[in-house]
Amino acid sequence: MKNKTRLAKMIILISPILMIITTILSVIYGTKGISFSTIWEAFTAYDEGNTDHAIIITSRLPRVLTAMLVGAFLAVSGAIMQGMTRNYLASPSIMGVTDGSAFVITICMIVLPNMTSIEMILFSMVGSALGAGIVYGFGSLIPKGLTPVRLAIIGTVIGTFLSSTSAALASYFQISQDVSFWYNAKLHQVDVDTFLLAIPFGVIGLIIALITSGHITILSLGEEIAVTLGQKTKWVKALALLAVICLTGTAVALVGKVGFVGLIIPHIARFLVGVDYRWLIPSSAIIGAIFLAVCDIISRFVNHPFETPIGVVTALIGVPFFLYLIYKRGGEKHA
Amino acid sequence: MRKTVLIAIVLSILILVSAYVSLVYGVINVNFTDVINTLFRIDPSDQLDLVIFDFRLPRIVIGALVGFGLGIAGTVIQGVTRNGLADSGILGINAGAGAAIVIFMLFFQGQLDLTGWLSIMIMPIFGLIGGLLAAVIIFFFSWQKGTFDTGRLILTGIAISSGFGALSMYISLKMNSSDYEMAAVWVSGSIYNANWIYIISMIPWLVILIPLIIRKSYLLDLFRLSDISSKGVGVPVEREKIKLIILSIGLISACVSVSGNISFIGLMAPHIARQLVGMKHQFILPISGLIGMLLVVIADFVAKNVFTPVELPVGIVISMIGVPYFLYLLVKQKR
Repeated sequence: MKNKTRLAKMIILISPILMIITTILSVIYGTKGISFSTIWEAFTAYDEGNTDHAIIITSRLPRVLTAMLVGAFLAVSGAIMQGMTRNYLASPSIMGVTDGSAFVITICMIVLPNMTSIEMILFSMVGSALGAGIVYGFGSLIPKGLTPVRLAIIGTVIGTFLSSTSAALASYFQISQDVSFWYNAKLHQVDVDTFLLAIPFGVIGLIIALITSGHITILSLGEEIAVTLGQKTKWVKALALLAVICLTGTAVALVGKVGFVGLIIPHIARFLVGVDYRWLIPSSAIIGAIFLAVCDIISRFVNHPFETPIGVVTALIGVPFFLYLIYKRGGEKHA
Repeated sequence: MRKTVLIAIVLSILILVSAYVSLVYGVINVNFTDVINTLFRIDPSDQLDLVIFDFRLPRIVIGALVGFGLGIAGTVIQGVTRNGLADSGILGINAGAGAAIVIFMLFFQGQLDLTGWLSIMIMPIFGLIGGLLAAVIIFFFSWQKGTFDTGRLILTGIAISSGFGALSMYISLKMNSSDYEMAAVWVSGSIYNANWIYIISMIPWLVILIPLIIRKSYLLDLFRLSDISSKGVGVPVEREKIKLIILSIGLISACVSVSGNISFIGLMAPHIARQLVGMKHQFILPISGLIGMLLVVIADFVAKNVFTPVELPVGIVISMIGVPYFLYLLVKQKR
């Protein structure tokens, strides 16, 4: 246990260095190569006329920062969901939360064509809540519906339904092109204003997550145990859910549906730092941030010179991991 | 027996009626005498020939054939896995066949005319390879102690369909834009670019495989018993199961290569058929095929006409009906 805590502390300590390295790599590599010294100049002596400087400040830097934030949000959101529901398959993309966000955003684009970035973030959160609500509501209606396997099945199927409906609506109202922008999760079109607006919402989510992390550890032992230990489980659950909604909603509003980050990162973090959520949540955030930023770099090279949607990269990495989880823990025995 | 024949007749009439409605109704309305005149070459006009023979009729025929194939294949898969929630789309077999066909399109683009004879005839064979690969993965992850574990079966399906989906997306991005268009339309399940060559490419598969499956239908009745009892009757269970699965994957590949990824037909049709004609697969198989036919023809009509001026992929319409049905089955399942 002690070793694991030490490992967690180490991850948190060296994370700034890793993040800076990832950021630099992400800024350097791209369709147009940029040298390290140019980056340095862009920060120390910014020259508006210099194209390279402009690329760094207005395109590459926001992009890598968005990737990191979204990675952290999704990973933390997945970690909370897994802890709260004691379900090793819980994650925003499997439980229909991201599909819910995308669904509500699609509807809003039809009803309110001129919505502002902040409205979009808020509606995206409403959508997260809606998606999670439908899936869990349905799960609790049917016998054994809240077991990991069943809930995952319900989540995926409802997710399919929401995204089919969104696709139908989008094509009926002829906004497919605008909407496919979310579905395909193209990080390179990130809007700097939305990004700046999204930060506070996400940070609120992260803070709630960190505050409740100790309680989630207790909750993850089982609801009865938590109650016996004197925990007000309703409050903890409500707060944790709020955090999930803030984090996932913001992530979807920023880059769209990116699968598997919220599923695999918490497992990796748990393997490294153990089951204490006070350490698990920050570590998930860090690993998630670096993971998504690296996926973003990979996405520029798998099909050079064209970019591949980042969702494709995370899926190609995430699916084998998912299969591994099914192989190790799937089946009715753990259901 | 008499009941089955009666139901088959009623279904056939329904299919003919929906095919007729689909034939006459559309952007250009055609009336009854026009149809008769054109079909029997009494007073042919170029415009009506174009509308009926080049646009509407191939589409209806393909919809009917695909529905028939998927309905029968779905029955076989549900029978062999002894799982009422199994469907070739949910299990990822469609996605596997799809990915293989997209790979085929990538390697032979430019060398072969993709809408030409040879390549259309070869496509189902590639689909078969991909479908078999998916089946092997499913088998590896969900076969335990001689049975398929329901939870693992569907989870593995979810995993591999998103994996193969991402792969198809990645590969189709490498193509030149016109092939990409074709691949993209095709992945979401659509029959709008139907033509007679596709129909001819499907027919041999249906004509050879369906009688083989119906001849083996008594085995599906036996599989309802435990494997030990079937072995006691003298059936080499594993070998026969593998044969049946390969036959049905062949059928699926032929369907998928023309229509793309259409899920849920293989789920719904067998259930409805069982409700209508009871438990004998000899009767269930043809009825399930007819129901699949009816579903696809109606869904394609909806996809084509309800959302005018745009057309939806038929796969989306079907999944909007299929998901609630799936959830209903999940609720009904007593466990």
